[in-house]
Amino acid sequence: MREYVYDVFARKSRGDQLAHIGYVDALDDETARVYAWKTYDEENWFEMCVVRRSDIIPVNRDDGPFSRGREEGR
Amino acid sequence: MSDLTLLDVGKLDDATRSALRRLILTLADSKRLMGIRYSDWLLGSPSIETGIAASSMAQDEWGHARLLYAMLKDLGEDPVVVEHERPAKAYASVDPLDAPFPDWAAVVAGMTVVDVALAVALDACAHGCFEPATTRVPKMCAEEEFHRSLAFAWYRRLAASRSDEARGLLRAATEAMLPATLAWLGADDAAARALVDAGVTQSGAELSASFRDAVGDVLRTGSVDVDAMAPATAWDAARARGPGHPDEEAVERARGDRNRMLFVE
Repeated sequence: MREYVYDVFARKSRGDQLAHIGYVDALDDETARVYAWKTYDEENWFEMCVVRRSDIIPVNRDDGPFSRGREEGR
Repeated sequence: MSDLTLLDVGKLDDATRSALRRLILTLADSKRLMGIRYSDWLLGSPSIETGIAASSMAQDEWGHARLLYAMLKDLGEDPVVVEHERPAKAYASVDPLDAPFPDWAAVVAGMTVVDVALAVALDACAHGCFEPATTRVPKMCAEEEFHRSLAFAWYRRLAASRSDEARGLLRAATEAMLPATLAWLGADDAAARALVDAGVTQSGAELSASFRDAVGDVLRTGSVDVDAMAPATAWDAARARGPGHPDEEAVERARGDRNRMLFVE
């Protein structure tokens, strides 16, 4: 069963910067939502979102984890 | 529902009071057992993330159970006695939770069938006239949305599996759980009707329709037609379920028997 890496971003308050707080391996977007919410529940987040790592477009480097995710398609 | 005037519990007749107690108990006991069944999968589920989700859902269910048991206070009953001193045969949890889920396919079926049925029943209570339910249940329903998302995603995934065994296990577990779940949700006995008349919840037919709407599409991916499934007929009216009961080991865990003597109040 193929899984994908989803990066998790969140902010504690409305005015905070959205911060990268971790990642989850998930089957699809729906399981990624649940895994992220259940895994990173140590804070009372104002907002949390996930994005499949392979959908992130690198801007200035091609050797970072996000670039590798894109190359590997996961 | 009759109207949205809040229920005056002190003025309930005996039959309606007893029916309300039965509803609270069946929801609370089911939540307590559901939490235990999820907790069995903190280890051994398909991934670390799934195990964390199972852990979190177990906590959700136990929290829901605690809040539901506390509603018995409104009926003049001590929730501590109810939680810690009843034998397994007095439990009113829904039948599919009587035994541990034997495999991950059964967990997914349980999430999809039983947990969603409980959420449908809770949602109806949240919109009824029993005040403790109107104030405490909406947060439970919000948490249940995540359970449903996980359930449906996993159900679709297993239903689309190339493995005949995985699809077979999922279908068998689903078809085993549906009859008793439909019987519980669709109950139309005197107690169920008393609660509808009092405005506490919806009729069995309405609850069943909501449930079939909620799970019909996803179950169809697993070749299960919920509209073709008939409710179980064996019925214990005192507990709103079939004649069995949860296994003793689960109830000992629910009551905290082994370490209760260490509990210092």
